[in-house]
Amino acid sequence: MPHVRFAQRSADRGIAKTIASVSPAAPRLEAVLIQIGVDIGGTFTDLVLWDDAADSVWVHKLASTPHDPSEAAVAGIVALCDLAGIRPADVGRVFHGTTVATNILIERSGAKVGLITTKGFRDVLYIGRKKRPLTFSNYQDVPWQTHPLVKRRHRLGVEERVAPPKGEVVVALDEKEAIAAIRKLKAAGVESVAVCFLFSFLNPRHEKRVKALLKREFKEAFLSTSHEVVPLYREYERFATTCLNAYVGPKTARYIDRFAQALRYIGLRSELRLMSSAGGVVTADGAKLLPVSLLLSGPAAGLISGIASGVAAGTTNVITLDVGGTSADIGVAPNGELREKHLLDTRIRDYDAMMPMADIDTIGAGGGSIAYVDPGGMFRVGPRSAGAVPGPVCYGRGGTEPTVTDALVAVRWLRAEGFHHAGLTIDAARGAAAIADKLAKPLGLGIEEAALGVLRIVAHNMVEAITLNSIRKGFDPRHFVLVALGGAGPVFAVPIARELGIPKVIVPPHPGVGAAMGLLCSDVSYTFQGTLWENLARPNLRRIDRSYEELEERARRRLGADGYDADAIAIRRRTNCRYVGQGYELTVEAPHGPIDNVWVSAVVAAFHALHEGTYRRRFADKEVQLINLGVVGTARRQRRFVPATAVDAGGPRNASSTAGDALFPTANGFERAHARYYDRGQIKAGDVIEGAAIIEQLDATTVLPPGSRAEADRAGNLIVYP
Amino acid sequence: MPSARTATARSGASLAQTAELRPFTKVNIDPITLQVLGGAFHSIATQMAELLIRMAYSNIMRESQDIGAGILDVVGRQICESDSTPMHCGSLPAYVRGVNRKLAGTYQPGDVVLHNHPYHGASHSPDYGILIPIFHDGRHVGFAGCTGHILDIGAAHPGFSVDVPDIYAEGNIIDAAKIYEAGKRNDALWAHIMDNVRTPDANSGDLEALIACSRFGEEKFGALLRRYGIDAVMSAAEMWMDYAETRLRQEIARVPSGTYRAPYGWLEDDGKNWGKPLKIATKVIVEGSDITIDLTGSNDEVETGFNVPFEGSVLPTANFAVRTLFLDEATTADPVPQNDGIFRPIHVIAPEGSIYNPRFPRGCEARFVQINRIPDQVLQAFAKAMPERVVAGNSANVSAIVYSGFNEADRKYWVVIEVNEGSYGGRFGKDGIDAIDNLMANTRNTPIEESELRVPIRCERYELRDDPPAAGRWRGGIGSVKRWRFLTDAAVNSTGDHRSVDPPRGLFGGANGMPGRLTRNAGTKRAQKLAAKVSDIRFKRGETIEIVTVSAAGYGDPVERDPEAVAEDVREGLLDARQARRDYKVVLKGADVKVDAAATTRLRATNLRNKKRSTN
Repeated sequence: MPHVRFAQRSADRGIAKTIASVSPAAPRLEAVLIQIGVDIGGTFTDLVLWDDAADSVWVHKLASTPHDPSEAAVAGIVALCDLAGIRPADVGRVFHGTTVATNILIERSGAKVGLITTKGFRDVLYIGRKKRPLTFSNYQDVPWQTHPLVKRRHRLGVEERVAPPKGEVVVALDEKEAIAAIRKLKAAGVESVAVCFLFSFLNPRHEKRVKALLKREFKEAFLSTSHEVVPLYREYERFATTCLNAYVGPKTARYIDRFAQALRYIGLRSELRLMSSAGGVVTADGAKLLPVSLLLSGPAAGLISGIASGVAAGTTNVITLDVGGTSADIGVAPNGELREKHLLDTRIRDYDAMMPMADIDTIGAGGGSIAYVDPGGMFRVGPRSAGAVPGPVCYGRGGTEPTVTDALVAVRWLRAEGFHHAGLTIDAARGAAAIADKLAKPLGLGIEEAALGVLRIVAHNMVEAITLNSIRKGFDPRHFVLVALGGAGPVFAVPIARELGIPKVIVPPHPGVGAAMGLLCSDVSYTFQGTLWENLARPNLRRIDRSYEELEERARRRLGADGYDADAIAIRRRTNCRYVGQGYELTVEAPHGPIDNVWVSAVVAAFHALHEGTYRRRFADKEVQLINLGVVGTARRQRRFVPATAVDAGGPRNASSTAGDALFPTANGFERAHARYYDRGQIKAGDVIEGAAIIEQLDATTVLPPGSRAEADRAGNLIVYP
Repeated sequence: MPSARTATARSGASLAQTAELRPFTKVNIDPITLQVLGGAFHSIATQMAELLIRMAYSNIMRESQDIGAGILDVVGRQICESDSTPMHCGSLPAYVRGVNRKLAGTYQPGDVVLHNHPYHGASHSPDYGILIPIFHDGRHVGFAGCTGHILDIGAAHPGFSVDVPDIYAEGNIIDAAKIYEAGKRNDALWAHIMDNVRTPDANSGDLEALIACSRFGEEKFGALLRRYGIDAVMSAAEMWMDYAETRLRQEIARVPSGTYRAPYGWLEDDGKNWGKPLKIATKVIVEGSDITIDLTGSNDEVETGFNVPFEGSVLPTANFAVRTLFLDEATTADPVPQNDGIFRPIHVIAPEGSIYNPRFPRGCEARFVQINRIPDQVLQAFAKAMPERVVAGNSANVSAIVYSGFNEADRKYWVVIEVNEGSYGGRFGKDGIDAIDNLMANTRNTPIEESELRVPIRCERYELRDDPPAAGRWRGGIGSVKRWRFLTDAAVNSTGDHRSVDPPRGLFGGANGMPGRLTRNAGTKRAQKLAAKVSDIRFKRGETIEIVTVSAAGYGDPVERDPEAVAEDVREGLLDARQARRDYKVVLKGADVKVDAAATTRLRATNLRNKKRSTN
């Protein structure tokens, strides 16, 4: 019988509690006894501590410190160690998910960047793809022009030219001009330099040479070369990615150093690891070399914890729905694998970034989303949000426009009594008045009807987003489970699952700290890529072979430098292929083994199948072209699951505390049902809860409409049958 | 139905009067379901367009995204449309009308109709339209459709060209042909189409993509009908049309009723009769919440392919011009969907036999230049009435160039269509946008590295053009310069307008814009200026072509421009200190280009005195 403990204590600036745990025998991959995951978001910093020796997991949440995000993180680590009764020196690893690079972009507070590029092409970064973001607008701003990553005066061309198909040098590098450019940038006070030459992915000689000159002439500058950052064809995207790296680089590196130093100061000796956008973790050194890889890492961690919850519950096809205050992140992971975004979609805010990025969609739908009637009389919800300030009307902090949260209170899915947000009191009447005034009256609906309408619309927006991210890409949601994360994910999960025909919803023990959990479930992984442009009807096998060898060697070297032995490293090959003449590639997993005709046939067959899955058509008579090669090097870590909880022989009795009426949607309107309100902390494995029920916990609320049923499993999850 | 072939064509009236054709009963929809279905409509159109772009072959469809997609009812009323390229937005209804005139009553499940007849709804002949009838409970209830620009349709010259005698020289015309009938492909027709074009590989891939796109729409809309029932779905569609109409009418009604005239605009020539500019006459009539764009007085139709299909091109343009002005997406909080409702308040008059309403069989392939002047003219017409919403003269043309050659090794043509960017005029409170697609054009460029990997050309320059922007309190946008070297012998066709006869017009004291140019072997002794429209000019291996695109006009008196903004333009290398002093009366000093505030104030005061003196 596993050892189980429950504990709940308050800490300095937040609330912490343990969840029950056991130690099932797992394959020891990378064995680290004590590890901490720290996810820093805009509002809260979430921490999770896993202690294998003590079989326990500790969770902690405290307010973020935007002026220096590491402050809350370090305070949280100290508090967690204290709670767990260990010393910081005992911690084996700290995994960190940070929005620091993303915030630099949002605040436009990045480095002063200089760009050295092929003469004649200084404005490639500024012209971009020359398509307006908005079709029907004369008064829009074009962000890459109003806020260029590099000012024109710092974009300098030098004589040089490499040409396809083989990367031959057709104009030699003018070194004198390059040196003059470097000196000019140095004199201008630039702190970060990007080197971006045309066709450097075919032959990086000139970029390498300018890098060497930079190291000689301007060694204090942060250096980014396009062949190192992203050696793929498409000049604007490659240049933009390289300049993004240069833009966020210096500040991100300083942040990582400061954070590592603070950890050492509290006596923590372990190394720091960071989550990358692609959903793997990288070492601090790896992150400092390629800071652009940290952009958008938070949602990836959430998706990973969702996958882990799915796996723990015995299923691998996972859709995650992570709903917070202002937005909802939606991820689809067939076979428990993270998928990467199509390269047309890998934008970060206003900028194109050609980086591997977990395929997660974000929509403006959350608890703070504002509901209103527009000038044409249409009922709308979001994407505008009341944010933390003034927040929903019912918070009484000055909000006047009804939000999703106000609607949740109005239908009694959220109760003042069950509301755990520190220091918040709920004024349900105030929220209801706003719904009456701003929605119900103009629409000719009752207050409750209007409130449920808000929820139906917001849920529908999420359904559309899931549809876009699943069905559109060839996946049938009926073969998936929905993992609900974030404070409001479990609120909407059941209606959404019903709409999409998803048979099962999983609500993990702590949906509100999904990203921090995910950090502890992630592998250490790096991606290396290169453009080849080989027609697979007549491939140069040696060239493909050599390229894989080189990329695999780089992956091994990188992971070796991180301290992993060769036998701990897994290498995955992939290719980006398209039909000859097409413009966009699909990513095809490629087999191991020798690059021969058998290998080529396997890739071609896999591509045809993927094309058909994605676009509904295969063109068996068309030739297939291998555009890019990729290698993902992974050092797998031990924990791939959430620890389990004990079965409580007592059965479903008891956790019920109160009962009351709440409203639920039906096919033609709504129904009032007698709902039971449960405290999640009281629910034991094996408990079965029938809807209508509302399950309340610290950081999330789970809603079970009439007809749905939840079972608590041994992993601490609620398994909900919609 | 709008009548497009009478002496004075007037269009835009709603098709709602054909309501008796509705295969459904109108029911009341609650506001929540309405929102849910509106989201579904938008989602279907967006997904259709996305599928098409990603699957497409030719650069013009895939990179330039010269495509459109949507769902329409049986008479061609638009229920939803992707908002990709404005030229394709709103052209689908005309395709449906063109196809219905031949095929109405013959549709069966599994039919796929291909259509490109420019006198029966096509935007122009290279824009293939694919329509698939949607059936529900055995009844024909609507169409899923899409359009896309096909690389080469077997015209007189590779890609396209201006100097052609009639539509038959523009390429093969396919007039509402069922390429699939009841699910079975017409292989003979397919082969015949592909046997008569220069780029059959790309064309067959693109045609497959168009079909896949419409099939996807058919399937998704069908699923929606099954899920919610036809009465609910179609009633919601009508309510969304009414909504779009209401929103647009609310905005139009804010403008006082009356007639607003733009100055005459001039096009350089028709691509054959050099030195003979063509007139554009524009007046805009506002009556309550209705708006009419009257092009009466514009040039007669011309003998080349430089005419504009009325239904497939002029009407979508009027739609674009009005909706962009009145429901600017950047300043309009709540998105208004693109559907039939948008067309209802908008009317167009263009006399038959004019360049904007030519008679069969006049060529009308090269129509974009004329088209793109319409929204620009409308903006000019409203300048005084809506100074805070209009834009100074735009590039308002298009630089569409075809490079082609014949590869002896594989005995195949290579063809590339390049759509070069334009620029926006200065705006109230904002400079014009530099080097970007303008108005009706909104396409992506093809990566240079993509072009060079595919075809034997090499880019030597792609930057902002060198001369300073058009001065203004808010300056005009800057055009671009691009230079290609041909690595083998090649042919060039182009359908532009340099705006040399009638450059973009400055507003409220802003300077006029700068014409573009096309030069063979620029910067060498052999340099040769080319007209904006060239038909089948041959280049030898090693020769270059340089494209300089139009810079747009300035808005407001340059002397009122923020001196700091002038200094910043100087620091960015867009103008020099001498020009800052001459055009903006701003005095700059030092290597770091600081504004000399005192000297600037003095210079501007002197300038003001001189101006007053000269007017007195």
